[in-house]
Amino acid sequence: MTDVAVRAENLSKRFRLQRERRTAMKERFVRGKAPKAQEFWALRDASFEVPRGSMFGIIGHNGSGKSTALKVVAGIYRPTAGFVHVNGRMSALLELGAGFHPELTGRENIALNGSILGMSSKQIEQQTEEIIDFAGIADFIDSPVKTYSSGMYVRLGFAIAVKVDPEVLVIDEVIAVGDEDFQRKCFDFIADLRSRGSTVIIVSHALSIVSEMCDQAMWLDHGEVQEVGVARDVVDAYLKRVNEAEAAKIGLNSTQHFGLSRRGTGEILVTGIEYLDGDGRPTPFLVNGEACSIRMTYIARKEMSDVVFGLNFFNGSNINVAGATSAEQGHETVPVGAGMVEFTLDAMPLSPGNYSVSTAVVTRTRFIDLVDRQFDLTVRNGGTIPNGLVRLSGGWRRAEAELDPAVLEALGEPAEPTAEVGFASAPPAAAS
Amino acid sequence: MSSITRSTRGNPWMYRGLIWNFARRDLKARFRGTFLGWLWSLMLPLATLLIYSAVFSIIFRAVPPPFGNGEPGIYVIWLLVGIVTYSFFGNGVTLAMPSLLSAGNLLQKIYIPSYVPVMGTAIAASTQSLVEYGILLVVLIVVGNVGLTWLLFPFLLLMFFIFTLSVSIILSVLNVYARDLQQITGVVIQLLFFLSPILYPLDQVPEEWNGIPIRAVMAANPVAEYIVAFRNLLYDLALPSGKNMLALTAWTVGAALLAWFVYLRKGQDIGEAV
Repeated sequence: MTDVAVRAENLSKRFRLQRERRTAMKERFVRGKAPKAQEFWALRDASFEVPRGSMFGIIGHNGSGKSTALKVVAGIYRPTAGFVHVNGRMSALLELGAGFHPELTGRENIALNGSILGMSSKQIEQQTEEIIDFAGIADFIDSPVKTYSSGMYVRLGFAIAVKVDPEVLVIDEVIAVGDEDFQRKCFDFIADLRSRGSTVIIVSHALSIVSEMCDQAMWLDHGEVQEVGVARDVVDAYLKRVNEAEAAKIGLNSTQHFGLSRRGTGEILVTGIEYLDGDGRPTPFLVNGEACSIRMTYIARKEMSDVVFGLNFFNGSNINVAGATSAEQGHETVPVGAGMVEFTLDAMPLSPGNYSVSTAVVTRTRFIDLVDRQFDLTVRNGGTIPNGLVRLSGGWRRAEAELDPAVLEALGEPAEPTAEVGFASAPPAAAS
Repeated sequence: MSSITRSTRGNPWMYRGLIWNFARRDLKARFRGTFLGWLWSLMLPLATLLIYSAVFSIIFRAVPPPFGNGEPGIYVIWLLVGIVTYSFFGNGVTLAMPSLLSAGNLLQKIYIPSYVPVMGTAIAASTQSLVEYGILLVVLIVVGNVGLTWLLFPFLLLMFFIFTLSVSIILSVLNVYARDLQQITGVVIQLLFFLSPILYPLDQVPEEWNGIPIRAVMAANPVAEYIVAFRNLLYDLALPSGKNMLALTAWTVGAALLAWFVYLRKGQDIGEAV
């Protein structure tokens, strides 16, 4: 066996883009053949090698050819030119529960989906109970999947997928939808596969995942490879390009930005928000419990004194979870021109999740600029899972005191631990 | 160990487990939600046969050829051989043809050869016809018309299945690119009912009509050839003629080769065409 799990050489895929598809014969007869189809290359001359046991990320903006590349590697599309060679049993996870039949029960769908993913009937038989356990839907396993909630559907699909045990896994990050807990399960699964020596190819928008988990990455733009190499370098190069493009765009229309969500007199306009990690490097999201900065860029059209900057964080339920203003550090005078303000935190207190951020620029007497919930912030889990909406950081101290032995006796023995005690999650809710 | 190569892509044996699971899915899903469930797969063919028997023993009475055992023939039984054979083909093609379009979402997400869902559905569809053949055999045993030629029945049935499956693969793949094919096929299958010697034996058809050699045209269609062969084996208890066997083999091998060709040319890009 070679040490290369997947080798692609000059891989290209051309699609014919038709404004209308004449799949009905009448149209072909009556109106002739469809107008000459426009052609475009979704993937052009991509060459890469994925060493056995490594993890390979594919990044790029929407429509850059990432998914096409993945589908060609997975064998779903045939390449127009070039070839891809896969060494080992391959499995593709582009959608969870693809091929579930709504009328069949969960148990019957395990057999069908397992076999679609390439498991033998013996394997399926042995693992059915484990799959049901892992999905946590034992009560519903003999009901048709059409009655499942979308969460149950995805959990069952995932539970089957993790039992496939491929040597090469091709995976689309979009399968990691759902709550944080489920996302963590997905990434645990990938980490587990890797520790067993499997090769993973992943398409992802989460750049941190690519730079942290992947050994190598490929950056695609309009179907063409921009860079292939060490994941961290590729991600940095990609981020640099994205930030440049973004800065150019904002510089041009910053004043028209945000429409109705923007209020205030407008002497100073916030033009954007950037997130930086503890080392001051731009990052697409922040990590709970880790040092970070939030940078607001602005343009001042008039010199203003007594200025205070503020940030407000709203969670998915639109609850104002936290806020911060620069008032504590005193008011400032801001000269005409562009600039930025940075708010630095030693430890990100917000719990993992998605937030909307509002920015505010005010003086004692007026609202200069308020942009209401127009910026997105994703906070990812970093190690421990805090309870509640924010993580409280403080010091802990313990001391001992005198105790009358009679009190201890009166209290009796502590209770035996039972299975119910602990932080077990509630059973899944039934589908409506 | 390489999983996707040209050689394994075109090897149905590699995918037998999956084909069987698709067939089971279709069978299970068909009567799901009904009170009688599996009983329907016995009752539907029985009902069909009863309807035909009732209609044709009262309204349309023809004189059937005698049984192979020398007894006077029974028209309804003679008719049933034709109807069961015709519906094996008709049902199989009608059910299997849309199977690629309905598996479209799956084919866009996971690589499976496009013949897999078609084969699964064709197997599921033919089980109903197997039940019909079973009922027919029981009836023939009851009237005492049993012979050694029955031993050839499974082989003929297998050939017929391969022929039906090949036509299904050809049509279901082409249907993805030209979706009217499904409507056209519906009409053609109806036409086949009257172009085949189901209600009347071929020798009652005029040899020529307005210069068209109508009997030869009817006899040349593959379903007619199969009906004649099945009647020979089951009803007349005689071996099919050499010419008949040659025609059946030619049709079946030709259809299988064409199916293979269509799969290679058009059937491998279904994932992007549906």
